[in-house]
Amino acid sequence: MNRNYIILTLIMLILAFGTLFLKMDDELDQVDPEILLQEIIQPTRYVTTDQVAKMIIKGDPSLMLIDVRNEEDFQNYSLPRSVNIPLDSLLNPENLSYLGIKGTKVVFVSDDDIKADQMWVLTKRLGYKGTYVMKGGLNCWMQTIIEPQQPSGDASYADQETYSFRKGAQMYFTGASAESSDDAKVEVQVQRREKSSVAAGGC
Amino acid sequence: MHIHELNPWRTLIALSAFVVLLIVGFLTMHKPLLTYEKSMSESVAALEDSDAYFYPWQLEDVIGNKAGNIVLFDIRDNFVFGQGHIPGAENMSANNLTREENIERLKALRDNGTTVVLYGEDELHANGPWMLFRQVGFSNVKLLLGGYRYYFEHKDDLAATKNDDSYKKGIARFNYAEMAAPEDGTGVKHVAKQPVQVERRQKSNVAAGGC
Amino acid sequence: MGPLIPNGIIGDGWDFVIAILIGIAFGFILEAAGFSSSRNLAGVFYGYNFVVLRVFFTALIVAMVGIMYFDYLGWLDLSKIFILPTYLGPMIVGGVIMGFGFILGGYCPGTSFTGVAIGKLDALFFTIGLYVGIFGFSLAFPLFENFYNSGSLGNVTLTDVTGIPASYFALAFTVVALAAFWGTMFIEKRVRKNMKQYKF
Repeated sequence: MNRNYIILTLIMLILAFGTLFLKMDDELDQVDPEILLQEIIQPTRYVTTDQVAKMIIKGDPSLMLIDVRNEEDFQNYSLPRSVNIPLDSLLNPENLSYLGIKGTKVVFVSDDDIKADQMWVLTKRLGYKGTYVMKGGLNCWMQTIIEPQQPSGDASYADQETYSFRKGAQMYFTGASAESSDDAKVEVQVQRREKSSVAAGGC
Repeated sequence: MHIHELNPWRTLIALSAFVVLLIVGFLTMHKPLLTYEKSMSESVAALEDSDAYFYPWQLEDVIGNKAGNIVLFDIRDNFVFGQGHIPGAENMSANNLTREENIERLKALRDNGTTVVLYGEDELHANGPWMLFRQVGFSNVKLLLGGYRYYFEHKDDLAATKNDDSYKKGIARFNYAEMAAPEDGTGVKHVAKQPVQVERRQKSNVAAGGC
Repeated sequence: MGPLIPNGIIGDGWDFVIAILIGIAFGFILEAAGFSSSRNLAGVFYGYNFVVLRVFFTALIVAMVGIMYFDYLGWLDLSKIFILPTYLGPMIVGGVIMGFGFILGGYCPGTSFTGVAIGKLDALFFTIGLYVGIFGFSLAFPLFENFYNSGSLGNVTLTDVTGIPASYFALAFTVVALAAFWGTMFIEKRVRKNMKQYKF
């Protein structure tokens, strides 16, 4: 009887001692590199400026805009309702608590899309879901939403429709006076535009 | 005395099963093809490292075969690659990046000190794979700024791009605040921003039952 | 891989089914370990029977060490496991009350049900008392609601508080538990010499 107990005791001791040599990653939970690489090569993370504008105008409560530029630039200009998390202070636990809320769509915004995309890769490595990148960034936002270019007369219907949406959005974001002829039409466009179409201005 | 105290064999059998389970686990443990060599904070800091980027004007030496030890990898898909690519570039399309032989290839190139330059259609295209490769320890992988599109527009005079900054990213091209200012004459407002009220994640605090 | 339900390997709706299966297994093991006898259970406080200590410590160290290996092997993600929130003061008071109840009644809540299952009258009265107690507590809850919610430390582990890696605690705890097994075995032998052998 005692012999068995001795064996049991020894096995248990060895097992417990073995846990000291297990490499526990105390770092934040991370996604396997291979899976991350597979996710990176999918282009599904990009949203257009039109889509973002539409969500802001509709007051979509699930939208969370995260501006990854530095604080100075953010103070100077930012999209409505956006939160500032500079790229280099992402790992601050305070900032991480903005991410990973169920049912929200986090959209990263920067001057163009590189920094936002880098932010996306870093947050994806930490396993956060529901993160997106605004393609073209604020430069594209200026070109498409704040100062949309009128398409030429023979442009496709889809392009015309995108343009009229953008004019409406421009009015929403800047308070610019719309041309009187478009006035009523523009309001309607903002309400009902459902299917996303190809961007008229290339960014 | 309870019967189990006279018969510790059962306990021994149970414990042996436990040990066998662990041994099986160790033997069948998944050995990942890639592991992170940079921690999260190192990865964030590494983005500032200018050594990790490859500038378009540096391509001139590569194309002219003057620079040894540099390999160009085109991550666009095979069809687009066939329509035109930077001379001397090899095709390794993004969908195949996770293949074992490609990873092995990168490892071999790293070990003999060859610099690998990744490029895609634009800079954004190759940005993700480049970041990941740097994070898993391929410190020889660089990212071509501007991507193929910029190269294609300037391929006749790459040296001149030294002074061009139109391919550079992270620069505001417009004065946003002025541009987006209301046109009713009030001009740019300089109001301190109010912190936005948004939801934050909380640790769950639900009481759960015990024994 | 694990935890299975949060990772979506088993569907959300299955948690109750699994709870029932694990509950049955738990009750079976409790009974098989002799935990349906109040003499067995309370014996640990009088020093003549340490089976409670041995069974619980064995289960504890095996689960503890096992979970750490499972985490390392990638079978179970420790960071996704629910950790009970700690309320320091209320937990100490609750522990003292529970200890008194354990000595007086001879059962702890879980084991009293195994006692009922094999038809023990004392266990039956214990469970009736249990429900009366729960009822009384619920009615009087507003009186000590403040205390009930005080001293919250959140969902913390010893590693969070001290910064010492979990494996050190595991090793220390295992050593203590094993020492307790041997220690209590000698105590039992000495005490039982002049004790009548009891039957369940």
